[in-house]
Amino acid sequence: MPSDAKGLSSLLLAVADDELIIGHRHSEWTGWAPHIEEDIAFSSIAQDEIGHANLFYKLLSEVDGRTPDEIALGRQRGEYRHAIVCERPNGDWAYTLARHFLYDSAEQVRLEAFAESSHSPLSDVSEKLLREERYHRFHAEAWLERLANGPVEGRHQISAALISAMRDAVGLFEPIEDEEVALADKVMPNTSEELLQKWLTEVTKRIESAGIVLDLASKDGAELLPTSSGELPQPLEDTTQPASISYRDGRWVLDGTLSGFGGRRGAHSEDFTALWDDLTRTYREAPAATW
Amino acid sequence: MVTATSISKAQVLEALEGVKDPEIPAVSVLDLGIVEKIQIDGVRVAITCLPTFVGCPALDMIREDIESALAEIGATAEVNFVFRPPWTSDRISEEGKRKLLEYGLAPPPAGNTVALTLMAPGKCPYCGSADTILESPFGPTACRATCYCRSCRNPFEQFKQI
Repeated sequence: MPSDAKGLSSLLLAVADDELIIGHRHSEWTGWAPHIEEDIAFSSIAQDEIGHANLFYKLLSEVDGRTPDEIALGRQRGEYRHAIVCERPNGDWAYTLARHFLYDSAEQVRLEAFAESSHSPLSDVSEKLLREERYHRFHAEAWLERLANGPVEGRHQISAALISAMRDAVGLFEPIEDEEVALADKVMPNTSEELLQKWLTEVTKRIESAGIVLDLASKDGAELLPTSSGELPQPLEDTTQPASISYRDGRWVLDGTLSGFGGRRGAHSEDFTALWDDLTRTYREAPAATW
Repeated sequence: MVTATSISKAQVLEALEGVKDPEIPAVSVLDLGIVEKIQIDGVRVAITCLPTFVGCPALDMIREDIESALAEIGATAEVNFVFRPPWTSDRISEEGKRKLLEYGLAPPPAGNTVALTLMAPGKCPYCGSADTILESPFGPTACRATCYCRSCRNPFEQFKQI
């Protein structure tokens, strides 16, 4: 690989891995979603994201010589560069929707940036993908608003899920390896930090306009409203983490150790172990198989 | 298989008219506006195509179908997919939209107004009523949304605007 492709390769790998792993998680809803329309929706979004991953692996393949399948399925766990938020188990329906919203908003921010990339194969596909991704965002935003404006139980669950997912999702903007090379080549038009700022501003605005108040810095975070019986709902899970996301002096500041970082360096959580095993098993058993 | 020394554009177009979308056999690759460029050099034909939806599994089948349709007329096809210009649903011809409707799929509305379209999916392909609602922006294939007609009470699908 020519040394000047280092930044480009690193960028393509991070994005392709994000798409593959989130697509894999979405596909786990096939047959299990709460109702048939959602089963179809998540299956369809999974198909889109894995198709997008395949496209990014193809672009990478052009600079690195390996086949897309070799790159996608022929690596060890520590060689994957997706953000940790993508590998988290689907959990409950609220977490699934919160992550879907945060991930697809992040994709919009970065694809808009990549549409200005100096690497024309990347800018061309980014423009194309932005058209497809609108349907993902429409779906995620419709659910966010439905839950925010529905019964208090759903509102509380989505609020708690957003806080939990947000602490992981900031890792989507963890700097990539060789980011300085990607920036110097203008393959990557903006720094990860600039994209993080833009994304946090946009998602928090959207969450607020749906009527949800999130305190990302506090232990519990979400507002608690009494249920119809007048009782306060019990917090669903303890979201205590020695970390916070706050807006200070005109910019977003991350404090402490947020759980979502490490993925861009290949440091994954335990959640990735079983996923990797499942995802790559067929390839490991029969690398030459075609299907 | 015929043996030819050169192929005309008319022959190529006729062959491509026979290549249908594997998931919507009512429309050809020409109706869908997938074919961007045709370059003929003797019996070698280079065809540049635009993918509809990137994750669509039918793309590889379309490539193979084009290759075999051209082999039938004695040509060697080289099919290449590119992303610029991006394929949009506006590239579907009027004839293509008519065929979609006949097939039972509401054609995509013109333009690039997704949010608006999602609220008003267009006329029911069965009864023509405009009293329709979008059930889900997703459907059995990447390019289709699921809708419902409140007038004739039939569910139907729409080719998505993109």
